[in-house]
Amino acid sequence: MADRDKLQILKDALYEAARDHGSDQRLFSQRDLLDMHVIPQDNLVLLIQVIQILCDEKLFVGNTTASGLSWRWRSREDAKKYTSLPNSDLMMVYAMVDEAGADGIWNRTIKNKLNMADSLMKQCIKYLEQKGYIASMKNVEHPNKKMYIKANLRPSDRATGGPWFTEGELDTAFINELQEIVFDFIKQKSTYTSLGGAVGTQGGGGGGAQREKVPKKGVVQGTILHSEDAKGTKRSAGEISNDDTAAASAPTTTTAKKMKPAKPQLLPLPAGYKSYPTVSDIAKFIHHAGITNNTTLSEADIQQLVDVLYYDGLVEPVKVNGRKGYRVTRIPKQDTRTCNQRRLDHDPSKGGIITSFMGVEPSASGLMEAPCGRCPVYDMCEEGGPVSPSNCVYFRQWLDGDEVKEQVISI
Amino acid sequence: MAVIKEKAEFCTLMVDELYGQLPARVYATLFQRGKLSIRLITQFSKLNARQVKNGLCVLQQHNLLFYTVDANSGEAEYSVNHESAYNLVRAGKILEMVDNSYGPAGRDVMQNLLLLGQTRVSDLVAAYQAKINLANDEDAWLDDKKPELVIKSKAQLNSVLCRLIEAELVDVIHSKTFQSAHEIEKQVHKEVMDVYFPNGIKGTKAKVEFEQKVAEGLRKVREESKTLKRKLAQNGGASKRRKLAVGNETNGAPEEEEDLDPALDPRQVIRINYEKCIVELRSRRLVQYVSETIGEMTAYVYGQVLKQLTKNISRCRPDPLMDSLTLEEAKETPSVTTNEILDKVKTSVDLTLGIGKIPGKSISKSAAERLIPFAPKDKIPFMSQEDSDDDDEDGDYSDSDEEMDTKKENGDAPVARMSRPEQLRQHLLLLAESQPGFVRHCGEDEWTVDFKPLMENLRATELDSIIEQTCGRQGLRLTRILRTKGKLGEQALQSLSLMRKVDLQQKMLEMRLAGFAHTQEVPRDNKADPKKSIFLWYCDTEQAYSGLIAKCYATMVHCLQVLEVRRQKEKAVLSLAKRTNVKGKEKDMMRDESYARFAKFLKDEKLLMAEVMRIDDTLALLQDF
Repeated sequence: MADRDKLQILKDALYEAARDHGSDQRLFSQRDLLDMHVIPQDNLVLLIQVIQILCDEKLFVGNTTASGLSWRWRSREDAKKYTSLPNSDLMMVYAMVDEAGADGIWNRTIKNKLNMADSLMKQCIKYLEQKGYIASMKNVEHPNKKMYIKANLRPSDRATGGPWFTEGELDTAFINELQEIVFDFIKQKSTYTSLGGAVGTQGGGGGGAQREKVPKKGVVQGTILHSEDAKGTKRSAGEISNDDTAAASAPTTTTAKKMKPAKPQLLPLPAGYKSYPTVSDIAKFIHHAGITNNTTLSEADIQQLVDVLYYDGLVEPVKVNGRKGYRVTRIPKQDTRTCNQRRLDHDPSKGGIITSFMGVEPSASGLMEAPCGRCPVYDMCEEGGPVSPSNCVYFRQWLDGDEVKEQVISI
Repeated sequence: MAVIKEKAEFCTLMVDELYGQLPARVYATLFQRGKLSIRLITQFSKLNARQVKNGLCVLQQHNLLFYTVDANSGEAEYSVNHESAYNLVRAGKILEMVDNSYGPAGRDVMQNLLLLGQTRVSDLVAAYQAKINLANDEDAWLDDKKPELVIKSKAQLNSVLCRLIEAELVDVIHSKTFQSAHEIEKQVHKEVMDVYFPNGIKGTKAKVEFEQKVAEGLRKVREESKTLKRKLAQNGGASKRRKLAVGNETNGAPEEEEDLDPALDPRQVIRINYEKCIVELRSRRLVQYVSETIGEMTAYVYGQVLKQLTKNISRCRPDPLMDSLTLEEAKETPSVTTNEILDKVKTSVDLTLGIGKIPGKSISKSAAERLIPFAPKDKIPFMSQEDSDDDDEDGDYSDSDEEMDTKKENGDAPVARMSRPEQLRQHLLLLAESQPGFVRHCGEDEWTVDFKPLMENLRATELDSIIEQTCGRQGLRLTRILRTKGKLGEQALQSLSLMRKVDLQQKMLEMRLAGFAHTQEVPRDNKADPKKSIFLWYCDTEQAYSGLIAKCYATMVHCLQVLEVRRQKEKAVLSLAKRTNVKGKEKDMMRDESYARFAKFLKDEKLLMAEVMRIDDTLALLQDF
């Protein structure tokens, strides 16, 4: 009797000790467990007995590693789920799902591994689902496979595809919106807006109004906005003070001869500028702006987004003292408006399909301007062939304009 | 000497366009058959000997041919000088460039040289003299019709020519000008063998020595065309003049200095040196690129930097045979100091423009002023630049940086007024910091340009913009990912590009068809079951370039062909416009309908030729700069 009590006490003590020594992922070897000095006199037999009880109660999970047997602990609630299951089949199925963790497991894998009859397995899964122990899930990588996961776990990023997926589908609209915001942020932080040549503010403007601000020390040369909170949010009209415009127009006359500064223009910042936004700056901004309510974006996610912008040729990394910030490319060509403003200002009736409101159109190259640059039958075009420059429809359209179109079709 | 078909076609059409059908037919025959004697040309071209001779004469005059005299038969054999033929298309650009930097007088001389081909100095002088005489002859011109002469005296002509020769834009013809590079090399080889190695080459050491001697010989041949320039330099006139005429180049040489120029040997035959012209065109292109990426003011400064640096650069791409061995020289890349640039910047230019003004404390001086004393090693553009350059500087610089900052903060107001050299430096530093590396800060206040990596970068940019225009921004994204990461499977590409699988596959297919992307199949086992194989996407930039080059030529050919078709169509109207009584007053003499057609043709011609020029911009960047 005393033995059993003693074992009970030791069991609890060992369990608590193991919990104190590490997370439920840590594997404890026999030596580790002995070194906790719970088992008196390093009694191996006693230790085995205690571990056996713990395993029976599903509080310990045995693992075989290269160095021999080892164990990790399992929380009491989880263990209770195991012990509450009525039979060993259920327990095995549940163990499989449990072990798969956040990645989930394919039902065929369960079947193959357990070598279980199909109907029995289905029964087990149904039971477990009803009990609320496991749930079915969708994996982006294998959208057609039926997968199961422990009900209280969130599917891993690998399974869901990370924050960019909504219900297993890549959420391109979301990505695009977010990209535009990130791009605007980088543009605003990495350029200097010159208003009529001499007066300018850093920042392209975050809201509907043209942003101007008088420098604090009365130097009418330009200023920089360092307020972290105001970025990207709309500013009220009251913030634009009227005397700004007066100040802006006064000293510009002499200096602005060559640059034709009729409208606000973006200028590059001097070399060695230290505050080009880094990925963590952008992540902070996104976080504070509260744009992504239900998804939290880690820095790695933002990095992914910024990388795509880089691959798109919209931003470029600048290294200043080992700090990697980003700035927009081709600054003088950039529009001072934000993407959203550009979208609102865009008049679809004027024609021209604009696929993106970010950045600049690619610089024109002669090759692409000629009809041949985009010609679908370029490869077979040859003098004397069925398609040739002398009977080229595209050239005719290009040179003669649209009025010939009908004529061409009638031929 | 391999020429791609499209280029051959284009050169022939260009000759046709400029010099007529006869030379074009001879040229086409030469392109098709290679080196030919007159007898064979007659045979292949189905022209008679007199016609062939006339055609060859025109071609020879414009330096479009190479010839060698066969030692055995004593017959001359002709072959095409396709580089020279292609350069005909750049005439307009060259004239514009000369106009910008040497004034209208320079352009006029250049234009005449273009029209005349290679010319004896005395002939050119005589031609101008006749013009001047005609203009001065009061009787010939009724009061107001007297044309404004660009070149007013022989002395001025001489001075303009001297300027152009000094700039290497014009050089001298010598006996070897008409031999192809291959031919010259053969000769030099033979000479070197005869003189230095009569018993043959034995051992590696001798081989190296032989190569050096050959390179030396080749360089000597190349230098021959610069005799006039050297003579001018020896006379010392140039340096004297430079002292007097600083910053005055654009206005043409002031008249009082003309006497300083020595008279050119009237027997010398001169021609346009396209190699140097292309260097100048490259500078212009770079300036344009800077104005797009950084800003106009910085571009202006960059133009001045390039002007200084390219003074002694004779060609864009060093010849592998001749220039590879002068490594010591290569290491000492020419550099220019801030003050030298400042001396050239016009006083009317406000250097404060074009760069954002921010308080000094948010600028890291040490990072901006970082010196890079050595040229970067050959790097593939976009190949994970991020990783390559973080090595050691991070730690070292941050400390000193702090000091700088505090000093700054204690000092003056946030935006201090900078001195003019400092303003100039700001632009230069910005250029140095830029991604493509427009300039390199190679020493304290010394600047240089590494053309090779820079042009490589620029080429990639051009390719990017073409890809973006063909396959959209997503296409560009995928290409750049592949370029940075190397070969990738579809799965990886998908996660990097944040694109839907369907979109991705469609885009990749599009790019595959356009020739910008390629696939590689990697079988998993010996059976190479396509179902199990891994398919990797990759971008072959070189292949993309050569594809583009061919396409450029073909498009130019198409433009010229369309022009010819139009010309045939409007034959009647055009022949009418050619009549002497109509010429010059087409609008009054022709019927409205005819005039409208004539005007339309002129418009089309202008458009098509402009298009050819613009494609040449791309082409030049891809293969010549």
